[in-house]
Amino acid sequence: MSAYPRTIAVGYDGSPDAVAAAHWAMATARLLGAHLVLVHARGMLGRLDRRDPRTIFAAPVADLVESTGFDPTRLSWHDTDGDACSVLLRCAEAPVFADLVVVGSRGRDEHAGMLLGSTSLQLAERSPVPVVIVPTSPGA
Amino acid sequence: MLIVNDPLDDLGHEDPGHPERPDRLVAVRHAIAQLDLGGDQVNVAARAATRTELAAVHEGAYLDELGAFCYEGGGDIDEDTYATYDSWALAQVAAGAGLVVVDELRRRGEGVGFVSVRPPGHHALADRAMGFCLLNNVAIAAAALRGDGERVLIVDWDVHHGNGTQTIFWNDPDVLYVSTHQWPLFPGSGVASEVGGPRAVGATLNLPLPAGATGDVVRRALDEVAAPVIEEFAPTWVLVSAGFDGHLADPMADFALSSGDFARLASWAASFAPRDGRLAFFLEGGYDLAALRDSVTATLAAALGDSMASEGETSGGPGEEQIRRSMRERASSLELVRDQLADGAAP
Ligand SMILES: [Zn+2]
Repeated sequence: MSAYPRTIAVGYDGSPDAVAAAHWAMATARLLGAHLVLVHARGMLGRLDRRDPRTIFAAPVADLVESTGFDPTRLSWHDTDGDACSVLLRCAEAPVFADLVVVGSRGRDEHAGMLLGSTSLQLAERSPVPVVIVPTSPGA
Repeated sequence: MLIVNDPLDDLGHEDPGHPERPDRLVAVRHAIAQLDLGGDQVNVAARAATRTELAAVHEGAYLDELGAFCYEGGGDIDEDTYATYDSWALAQVAAGAGLVVVDELRRRGEGVGFVSVRPPGHHALADRAMGFCLLNNVAIAAAALRGDGERVLIVDWDVHHGNGTQTIFWNDPDVLYVSTHQWPLFPGSGVASEVGGPRAVGATLNLPLPAGATGDVVRRALDEVAAPVIEEFAPTWVLVSAGFDGHLADPMADFALSSGDFARLASWAASFAPRDGRLAFFLEGGYDLAALRDSVTATLAAALGDSMASEGETSGGPGEEQIRRSMRERASSLELVRDQLADGAAP
């Protein structure tokens, strides 16, 4: 096992929290020379709307790449069916093999408050690899 | 004899364009009408489940939050799940419907129960709504039975894994949770190595199957892997999380099941009820209305010992290799957890 993460996985659903997490993960991956995998968990309705996250989120991800100076050839997507927590927990396994998982402090739907539970806390409790929880800057 | 709850006043729980919609219960009412049971159908009035009954499964803070969220007008809870002003009241009645159907079965000591409700329940966790589900209806009924000393088998044949039900009874040796589901698929849990908590090792049994799975594959998984475990468990009650989104026509997933397959699954589940009056089906998913209607008719007819499937059973789909793999994964996981327990370590 390397002293530094070689593959960083970051949960990405387009929310301000996810953008903050992806920015941190991308900047860190650049410093460490690591690969970065943007992980998109597709919910039940995602089966009816099969748009590719690479397309949906092309513009904000391009902005992140530019602002962090990250090498886009080291960037990939993992788009899979599931609840965000389950999907991120499995990122330590094939095919992602992440050795660090990064998430925003809340999901997309913070207005629903605790009805959603907290993906980041569940993940931190159960993940087999280190987890970084990135807070959204105030007012974001 | 079929024991079913009165139709719910569910029109207020709707999000235009969302597949979990009031027309689903219209389709189910047609399904029940197709059975043409006359005096062999008993309708019972549903009531709201009490706070105590809900709290046997759900955390008090979650119940408070869900009620407050609805009274403020509701909205999207996550990308899949919505609630409206009326949803809190409806969800409590949906949970209560399961309790009154079970009570009526106990009072009569005969019949087959059908809990015709929405929103569905099996994804709802103790402290979290998800996957279209707000309150876990089948778990609330199972918890009530378990509180009376019963040993409850929950068979979940919805195409999605019932992560909520599994988690709620994870460490409960008196509830055996058996699920067949497509994998990978939402919610992402339900691999065979998930076998239950330290006090209930083996009381969770997952049979993940690939897209395209047909009836013969689902039955083989249940017969070869689940049946011996259920026989050893010896349930006193059988509750079925009956989702019909595994039908070939359903847009939410990729199983290839027919109404005839659901009839066969219903007979299979019924065979584990120790006697008449100990079997109830809870509506979970099912989003193609014609497939839902015909599958509910076929299921209930089969459970009542009749045959009304409009489609034959299916066969020849993939999954044989997955069943073998699941058996191996379950066996090694059971061994690992038992070794850890023997060593005194928390698994
Ligand atoms: Zn389902």
